[in-house]
Amino acid sequence: MIKEKDHEIVFKYTGYRREDFSVCLGCKICASVCTVNDLAQNVNPQELLMKLFVGEKIEDDHPLVRYCTSCYRCTTACPWQIRIPEVVRAVKESLGMESRFEKAFKKSLNIWGRVYEPFVVAMTALDLLKGGYIKYMPKWMGYAGFHLPHKVKRIKPTSAPKGLNPSGEGRS
Amino acid sequence: MNILIIGGGISGISAAKVALGEKQDVTILESTPEPGGLMARIANCRVGFKTFFDEIRDNKHLTVISDAKIVKAAKKDNGFAITLSDGRTLTADKVIIAAGLAPYDPVEYKGKRVLTSLEYDAVIDQRQGELPPDFNKIGFFLCVGSRSKDYPLCSSVCCSYTLREVKWTLQRAKPEITVFYNDLRFFGQEFYMEKAFRNTGVRFVRANSRYFEEDEEGVTVRYYAGGQLKEERFNYAVLAIGLRPNPQLAELSRMFGFSLNEYGFVNEKSPLQTDVEGVYVSGGALEPMNIKDSILTGFGAGLLSVKGPEVPAKAEGQDERLYREDEPEFVLSDGDATTCLFYLGTEDPGNGIFYEFVSSKFIEAARNLKKAGKAVYVLTRNMVTPSYGEVAYEEARREGVVFVHLEEDEAVAFDGNQVRIAREGRELTFNADKVIRFDDYAELFKDREYLSLYRSEPQIRWSPTKWGRKKYHIGFIRHPREKRWEGREVLGALGEILLDKEEERILPEVNEERCSGCGSCKDACPHSAIEMLIREKQLAIFGPVTSSGVPIAHVKEDTCVGCGLCASTCPSDVIAFSEKPPAP
Repeated sequence: MIKEKDHEIVFKYTGYRREDFSVCLGCKICASVCTVNDLAQNVNPQELLMKLFVGEKIEDDHPLVRYCTSCYRCTTACPWQIRIPEVVRAVKESLGMESRFEKAFKKSLNIWGRVYEPFVVAMTALDLLKGGYIKYMPKWMGYAGFHLPHKVKRIKPTSAPKGLNPSGEGRS
Repeated sequence: MNILIIGGGISGISAAKVALGEKQDVTILESTPEPGGLMARIANCRVGFKTFFDEIRDNKHLTVISDAKIVKAAKKDNGFAITLSDGRTLTADKVIIAAGLAPYDPVEYKGKRVLTSLEYDAVIDQRQGELPPDFNKIGFFLCVGSRSKDYPLCSSVCCSYTLREVKWTLQRAKPEITVFYNDLRFFGQEFYMEKAFRNTGVRFVRANSRYFEEDEEGVTVRYYAGGQLKEERFNYAVLAIGLRPNPQLAELSRMFGFSLNEYGFVNEKSPLQTDVEGVYVSGGALEPMNIKDSILTGFGAGLLSVKGPEVPAKAEGQDERLYREDEPEFVLSDGDATTCLFYLGTEDPGNGIFYEFVSSKFIEAARNLKKAGKAVYVLTRNMVTPSYGEVAYEEARREGVVFVHLEEDEAVAFDGNQVRIAREGRELTFNADKVIRFDDYAELFKDREYLSLYRSEPQIRWSPTKWGRKKYHIGFIRHPREKRWEGREVLGALGEILLDKEEERILPEVNEERCSGCGSCKDACPHSAIEMLIREKQLAIFGPVTSSGVPIAHVKEDTCVGCGLCASTCPSDVIAFSEKPPAP
């Protein structure tokens, strides 16, 4: 059973109600057409839904969370047209696995209602600096970044983000 | 009286048969050049349809209008005035809608190697000549175009039809056959057929696929089963297409004024009657149904059109030939459990018959428990909810009942409150306060004679309810069916009674002197037409004359059909036929 409290974020981000994906028949058609199967082995989107139904945790190295390109092949093949990519995306957000560009892009949409490129570029760059990507950049950026306020990024998050984070930030 | 039947399929012909038997004038309108409908598109059923139709073809009260299209229908006096597209006008007192079903066309998947089940039917048709040279590996894929968002009903016949196609394929060649299914929805004896095919090597996989990559030599199919994505090559992939309501029904409903439901089928006011007086409905216009049920509803609609809507759709107080068996009471006590788990699976093919009954009961119970705020899981091996039953199943899923679909090789272990599903690569554990199992209910069915009677259902004779002489089966005894079938079955059986005619038969005779009363004939008789009587018999030939009661076989003249099984089973040739059967 879906514990609604834990999975609120999935509903929040996708605009789904629970029944929109609990209609799943378990036919595994989605797995037969999923393109992630060419990158990873034995990927079954239906199992991801099942994990949501029974309230299991979804690991952040789940191939779907990693590689899903939102091609919507599963949705077109699904008899009930369950929008699995959107569920995957919501899971991804709740795990804090969005890229910095995605975050900046959404923030820009929240502020201006459109993409404002200078803001997106600046935010992405700032986030990259803060997030400890300095070693991949030209040296002078490292010196600049050091003087900016930044958090020290832990390698492995130990707290909340393992499961779905109910208080996750995003569009509201 | 003038009866107009719209649709020359099997159901329309059955209705015509009943009406003609009552000496009414019947007109059949058929939109194609030849009556036949969907049934005549199946190669092995074409001959059957022809023989069925030939019985009434030359009746002088019957008119068949082919290529007909209704342009106008108006209510006149107590009947209808109908105008056809070629300008002809007809008057009809009663109208029977038997417009049938329209098969779904999966254009997005079809190809030279990916065939629909009706196209495949032409491939294995004996009259079409040899089979294709590469006919070694065939995959059947169920539920194409049904049980989906745009058509949520189950077609209820595709599983059975696929089973028949497997049978016809195996009659001609020995290819490797795999059936990919979501749920196997069989009725009655078909569960025994499935078991037999499993034993002969037909593979059943509980997974479905829409990945068909077609080239000149075959089809590559991907499917996910046993925790793995598998890729397999098939020579042919056969899609079991769903049956949808006939699009012409919408037009007819506008002209005649009856209403359709949200799925496009005719609304039933009372069994087999539309909400317009004098318009009856039968066959595929009601819901997706198989041939036997189409005949049944056809008989029922024919009866109604002749006798008027006053015929009560109840078994009580009607003909005493109706044999009815009520469903056993199904009591679920949930106690104070907070988590309930239903296990819908059985190893016994005999109990497979009850899948439909138990599935609907489980869904009903699960929804009630869910509404009471409990966590409900249903582990299913096979969920049988044909046609409108699928709606309740969908509602249950939406309401948050969790259905876990077990694959063929997944084992379920019950350990107190813990339920473990295990197979390679997947292990699910549930803690359930209350576990409700299919097999707990098997005892409900054990003490009644259902099983033997289901097996006596005639496969060749075209009688939906008449299984024995003067015995018309309705209710739970036909198949365990949902409530809406109750009235239809009564009407259908009453219609079939009108067609009843005395069949020629020869009764076996028992040599009472020599009968030892072993009872083997009684066990062999499929119609339970032999009873054991106690006769006074002299025991000793020499010495004092003593006599005692001994059992002796006695043939009940009412029920015996004269099949001769008893004579062939008798170990001492005591039962025999005195005269030779007449030459055919």
